[in-house]
Parts: sequence; C-alpha cells; structure tokens
Amino acid sequence: MNVNNITTINTTYRMFSAFTDKIESDAKFTFSVSDNLTSKSFETSAGSKILEGYRPPFDSTTIRRMKDVGGFLMGKTNMDEFGFGTFSVNSAFGIPRNPFDIERSCGGPSGGSACAAAVFDHVSLGTSIMCPASFCGVYGLSPSYGRVSRYGLIDCGNSFDRIGILSFKASALREYLPIIVGKDVHDPTSMIQPDLKLGGKKMCAVAVPKQIIDNKKVSKGVIESFNRSIESLKSIGIDVEYVDIPTLEYSVSVYSIIATSEASTDLARYCGMRCGPQDGDYTLKFDDYFTSFRSQYFGDEAKKRILLGTLIRMAGYVDKYYNKALRVRESIIADYKRQFERFDAIITPTMPFISPKFDDVSKMSTLDSYKSEFLTATPIVTGMPHLSVTCGYSEGMPIGLMFTSDHWNENVLVDMAERWDCSFDVKHAEVNA
Amino acid sequence: MKIGLEIHVQLPTKSKMFCSCPTTGTETVNTHICPGCLGLPGSRPSLNKKALELGLTIAKKLKCTIPETTWFSRKTYFYPDLCKHFQITQHDTPIGFDGVFYLGKKPIRIARVLLEEDPGKIKRVGNGSSLIDYNRSGIPLTEIVTEPDLSSPSEAREFLSELLTEIKSTIGLTDSGERNIRCDCNISVGSERCEVKNVTGLKNVETCLKYEAVRQTKLIKSGGKIERETRHFDEAKRVTTSARKKEFEADYGYIGEPDLGIYHVANMAKSIELCESPLIMIDRFQKEYGIDEKIAKQIVNTSIELAKLFEKIAKITDVDTAQTWIMGTISANWKSFEKNFEKYDDIVTIISKFYKGDTTDTQCNLELKTLMTGVSAEKAASISADLDTIINKIIEDNPSFLIDYRRNEKAFNWIVGIIMKQTRGKYSSENIISAAKKLIEERL
Amino acid sequence: MNKEIVKKTACVAHIALTDEELDRYSTDLDEMFRYFEILNDAPEIKNHGFNPVEIADVLRDDVPLMEIPSEDCIADMKTYDGYIKGPRLL
Repeated sequence: MNVNNITTINTTYRMFSAFTDKIESDAKFTFSVSDNLTSKSFETSAGSKILEGYRPPFDSTTIRRMKDVGGFLMGKTNMDEFGFGTFSVNSAFGIPRNPFDIERSCGGPSGGSACAAAVFDHVSLGTSIMCPASFCGVYGLSPSYGRVSRYGLIDCGNSFDRIGILSFKASALREYLPIIVGKDVHDPTSMIQPDLKLGGKKMCAVAVPKQIIDNKKVSKGVIESFNRSIESLKSIGIDVEYVDIPTLEYSVSVYSIIATSEASTDLARYCGMRCGPQDGDYTLKFDDYFTSFRSQYFGDEAKKRILLGTLIRMAGYVDKYYNKALRVRESIIADYKRQFERFDAIITPTMPFISPKFDDVSKMSTLDSYKSEFLTATPIVTGMPHLSVTCGYSEGMPIGLMFTSDHWNENVLVDMAERWDCSFDVKHAEVNA
Repeated sequence: MKIGLEIHVQLPTKSKMFCSCPTTGTETVNTHICPGCLGLPGSRPSLNKKALELGLTIAKKLKCTIPETTWFSRKTYFYPDLCKHFQITQHDTPIGFDGVFYLGKKPIRIARVLLEEDPGKIKRVGNGSSLIDYNRSGIPLTEIVTEPDLSSPSEAREFLSELLTEIKSTIGLTDSGERNIRCDCNISVGSERCEVKNVTGLKNVETCLKYEAVRQTKLIKSGGKIERETRHFDEAKRVTTSARKKEFEADYGYIGEPDLGIYHVANMAKSIELCESPLIMIDRFQKEYGIDEKIAKQIVNTSIELAKLFEKIAKITDVDTAQTWIMGTISANWKSFEKNFEKYDDIVTIISKFYKGDTTDTQCNLELKTLMTGVSAEKAASISADLDTIINKIIEDNPSFLIDYRRNEKAFNWIVGIIMKQTRGKYSSENIISAAKKLIEERL
Repeated sequence: MNKEIVKKTACVAHIALTDEELDRYSTDLDEMFRYFEILNDAPEIKNHGFNPVEIADVLRDDVPLMEIPSEDCIADMKTYDGYIKGPRLL
C-alpha cells in the first residue's frame, strides 16, 4: 500500500478533494469514496462550490459499513459536480488525471475514485463508475439498483444512482460487495432486495447487441479489442451470440430526461441556507437571495441540467418527455429481461473510445458528451448490475469490456471478474510521484 | 355563490411522516429535527405506516374511491420554510377521490383526499431576515379537497365543523393545541374564483369568506373584473389581501418521488375497519338495545372502548346485566383501567361467570375491582411493573434524553428527578434508580 | 429553442443567466430536445413505476426516534435564538 507520500501523489493526479495521511494503526484496510458520499470525518461537497465546507452530521451507510469491518476512510475523491459529467472535468476541487497519461481524463463522474483505485491499489467507492473504470484500467462493479443503500449519497438522479466498487484487484469485488450491500431502513429502495448469494451459477452464455457494433460510433481500437475479447470468452467456454435489441438506442434520451428531471428537484435545496456557503445578504427577498447563490455557486453543467430538467417538468413538456421516458424505460427493461431468459449477460465495450486528452474533451458539445454514454446508459436505465473489466490497450490506454446481468445477479459478474483476471494480463499504471 | 375548501389536518402520529422525529413534546425550536426533515444532502424519506393508515381511514370515511396503487410526487417551489424546496405530496394518485360528505341531507362532494408533509414554521421578522423553526417540517398532513358545493360562508363553517367532528372521532384526534387545522378557501360569486390561503380556525374561515363575498360582489357591481389570484387573510384586520406572488400550478413541475416507490393501498384499505361515529353509535344503542338516550350518551361519550365493551357483555348476557355492570363498577373504575386494554376480555369472562351463577354479585364486584385497578394479592409485583411502565413512558416522552445520556451520564440524575416527582414518593429512590438503570441500559 | 422559454425556466429554477449563458444554453437545450425526438417512435409499456425495479409497500412503524443530536444537524447553519436564519419574505 503506497500511502507514504499521498500529498505528492495527489499533487500529480489530483484524485482527492480531501484526504488524510494519518492512517489509524489498527485499520484493517484503507479505502476512499467519491465526494458525494456524506462523511463525518471529511467535508462533503459532491464536487460543487455550492456545498463547499459542508460538514454532514452523519456517515453514509456505505462508509459506516466499511468502517464497521475495520476500514479506514483515507480520502474523498474528486468528481464531476453532483455526478454531472463523463470526464470529471466539471469538478470544483481539482480535475483528476489519468494514471496512464496525466494529459488525459480519468472518466466521470467518479474519476477520482478510479484514479485512487489504480494508484493506491485500494478499494474505492463511487457512483456511475463504468466510464472511470474503463478509462483508468481497473475493475468496476455497479450492483443492481436498490442493492446498496443510498442513505448519505448526494443525489444526481434518484432512480438511477448506485454506489459501486472500483479496484485494481478482481478479488476485491467478492471481498467488499457483501459489506456494502443489504437492507437499510434509512433507504426504502434498499428494502426489497433478495439476499446476495455469491458463488453458484457461473456465466455460460453472453449476448452481443448487434446495434452496438454496427452503428460506427465505436472507435476502431475499441472494436478490435472487443472482438479479441469475444474470442477470449469463447476460449474459456462461454457461448457468444449476436442479438437484436432495438430499444438500446433510446437509453441515452430516457436517462437524460428522467435523470435531469429528478436532479433539478434534488438540487432545488441548495440556495445559501442550511448547508454550504451562507454568507449572503439576508435582507434580500428570498427569491433574489436564492437566485444569487444558485447563479454564483452552481457550475456550468449543473446549471444546464437544472434548466433541462426544470423545463422537462413543465406543463406542455412533462407528458411528452418525462412520462413518455418512464414508459420507454419499462420497455427497455422488458427487452433486456427477454435476453436474460437465454443469456447470463449482455456484453458491449464499456466506452466507445479510450480516454480522451483534456484538449479534446473541451471541444465536445453537450450532446456529444451525453451520447458518449450510449453503451453505459442501458444498464444504468434498467437498474441492472454491470461490470467493467480491462480487455485491451490502445495508444497505451486501457479499454473496457462491460458485462450486464439481470437484476440481483451480481454473482455471475463477481465470478466473471475473477475468471477474466486469470486469463487477461491487466497492467498497472506506472505511478510518478 | 360557490365555495370549495381545501382542508389540511395534521394527523396524530407519534413520529413525523418521512422521518422518525417525534411530532410532539417540545417547546424548544429546532430540536425535533434530523437530516431528513431538514432536507440535508443524502437524507431519504421513509413513509410512516400510521400516517398512511390514518389517511386511508379518512378517505374511507368520506366514501372515496381508493386507487389500486398510489405514490407520492415532488411539488417544487422555493420558500424558506420548505427545506428541500420540494414538498412530498400527492398529485396524480391521491389516496382517495370522488367521495362525499353529507351536511344534513345535502351532499358535499369530496374531490380528493391526499397525504403530504408540512413545511417548517416561519417567524417573520421586520424587514430583515426570516427565522425558521423546522420542528413542524415533516409533520404528516392530510388534505381534503371539496368540490365547490358550498353555497354560503355560514354553510362552509357548518360543514367544516361537522366534518372535523367526524374526522376527529374517526382517527382519534384530540383537541390539543399542538395540532391545528388550516384551510385554503376558494370562492366565486361570479365566473372567476379567488383562493385565500392558510386560514386557521372555523371562525376565521367564515369571516374571510364573508369578506371575500362582499368584496367580489362590490367589485362586480362597480363594473370591475375578478382576477383569478391567491389572497391572504389578515386575522387582525379581518380582511383579505392580494398575495404579491402568483403561483401557477404549471410551475410546480410535479414528478414522481423515486425514493419511496409505490403503495398498494386498495388492499391496505380493505383491512381498515371504520369505527362508528359517536353520534351514530348513540342513536344505534337506543334503537338496538332500547336504552335511554341519556345512558347511551354517557356510555359512548365516556369512551368508545367502554361502548364496545357494553356491546360485548350485552351479547353474552343481556342488556340489563350489561347496563348495570357498565354503569356501575366498570364505569367507576374505568379511569384506572384505561391503560390495561389487554385485560379487556377478562372483564367479559368475569361477568359471564356471574351470569351463569358461578359467582355471586359481591364476588363479581371484587374480581372486577381487582382486575381493573390492579390492586390485589399480586399488588407488589404489579406495583413494580407499574414503575417500569412509568419509567418507560417518561423515557419515551423525552426522546432527547437517551442522546443526552449517551454523551453525559449526568442526565441520569435528571430523569430520576422526573420519576420521583411523578410517582410522589410511592417508590423508594433505591428502587427507582435500579429500575431506571435497567430500563435505560436495555435501550442503549 | 425559444429564448423566452429558457428565460422563464431559469426564473422558475432560480438561476440568473448572463446573455452569453442564455444563448449557449438555448442552443444546447434545443439540440437535446431535437435528439429526444427519437422517443416519438419508441415502444412503451403503460404500467410504469418510478424505479427500475419495483419498490412497493415499504413502510416504517410509527416509533419516534432521534438518532442524531439536533444541535449537530444545525451546527453548520446560521441561527438566531435557536431559529434558522433565512432571507426576507416580502
């Protein structure tokens, strides 16, 4: 465990928004979490200026559960403001840099967590972790919606948000998943889950949606690597079949519509009262007071999503977009469920390209960056568990392969990660400190 | 003239609607609060079962249709008393709709009954800042919305009074000052209506409606036009004034509350039994048992439970026997018995033994007294059990005590003091200290 | 995208926009809404919930409980005489 020169390492990689190098001597292990999980020992800002300096009065359930088994929270990691982004560049407290090339993005929103998992070789928890896992070359497991309590998770989109595990070691998934899952009375959505049973069923057959490969949105390097992965899977005895899942193309829209609608209500509470900066002029009328804080402290992407979500919720839009998206979500879920009658998982590349250089990120349009999530959007929209493993390298940068299984079937993913780890040589990034 | 009311009734639960904070028992501002009712980031709502049951009971009482499933919605607006800047309320699936309440013979249609959370309370201060107490934030409310079927301010008042009497007896709401009733009053004398928000109390509702009726009539007569708007009622000046900010339903931007999920309420409602209203019960007792109005009233008004006991006894014995014992020994000892409802069936057994001739009048009387007061051979045992009950109640009535105690054990002395005061020397301080220690430890 | 609509939305959302922001967000939102048109032809299932898995009938018993001291909850807030300070109402 390389924790002796955290300050130096963090200066290079900027993974932490807050950290400590005074590790308790009786700690069984160290871990980090993205800064949208509330913690008593560190300020919690979810990457936003509007929450700068906020000290939560409670630990999120995941942090508490990790601490209960002897874990020591080493730091909070930088992330896109409230989870709004794909490259962690919308972070108010430092943009994390990719461990394989510091000129490139760690992915987002939980970029700092993937970076910490790669560099410190410890387990890190974060939300929407697929892209970061892929870009930073670590294992990422996002359990089923409702599997891990969201008590203490600062909302980005309540019906999508999930806390997942990032680690360079495949074995960490089996080790830490049972710790963070389970019912929690503080989060009703966690109360309906069946027990997690690791072991048992193994992955035998996987499906590849034709749409993904045919639509030319995936870069050449990624496709080559993905095709090689298919051969690797076959070589360890897994059947691979191409299938037609036409509803896939709707996922980005469904996600953008529902998530921004939810986020625009979640973020209404931030206004210069109760938490975060509160140094305004109280003699202003409340509308003006709230507006001044929100305009000053929300970042660009947050404002954009609040506007999009607010507009979608308005009369004349809500039926056409929000209610429609809810109904389409059900049909996407049904489509995926049908595949799981025959297959144990659906596989795609995790991201359509390798981690871009920061220069290139800044050139992307809003829609381009939303669309770059077209592969990860479906497992997010369907609430199904998914796993990203490194399946190749292009220009020295890692490429991710994503497995999505049916609700509550994390077991096949945990097992798959370990099998993959035996057959594929995952590279460690060279850490410069 | 058309009048419709939106009536907000605070529901008598022990804890808040979406968090476990106590609903009563504090006079200190901002003490019954938690991350949930303060809307702190990362907190989540969790629905109080009792609030849902009480809401469904009211919906059933008002003969509403109960939907198969219901859910909550977020109503978004910005105001300092609303922590999350969205209120968790119901929009497209209220727990009840299309009900009716009879005012005498006149049906007043109930458009919907829904559940929602109360915002905090604002104490206004001059032209400086506002000051907020969030103790009220998250108190469960039911909103009852009528169709505009009321035709005069006095009728509105009468309706409100009868409706509240019914509801109070249905859900066991007492007239304690901590729970209040607020009304939004919609009134039109012509074609356009105005809404007067947040009027508290029956008398104010009538006064405000009268004022509005006169104002609107005068305005129309002088050739003016009624504008659809929200108004406020000034209790001191007894007038309504235009609210400066207009709220549009369209701007609330309702969406479903994803943190709670859905509820299969039609099924739940089936298992809820409505209790008979006191007025109907008194009437039925006279007809069914042929007893005096005065006696029927006395039994029912003492307690619904006593009335139910009367019926049970009458069923297995006869009306005379039931009336004699209920009005005699049982009424006399009712107060001390009221907390021992688990022994309810024992009373029936004792009287049935007497009725069969197994015991004498005197024996029966003695057995009842012993049972109801709990003073007997087992006195000692029951007294210590009583002490446990008293201590438990004190701990529960002071929810912040355990928190204080965890931090500083000196809080123990404080609670012992309260127990001594309440038991007035009935128990030795030794007994109190050891019993309190044991019970507190059990809770930690 | 009509800029007036974006302006009105910003007002409802309590965000003041600079002219530059108004232009840029109007373009971005316009692009997003045009992309959403894809949903017009999307198959749908009428019976929907608000979560990707069914969360039904999760209820809590009516037991009062305070897990976190109230003063810890408001430690970061601006207060006056126990009240939380907020902006002017009128």
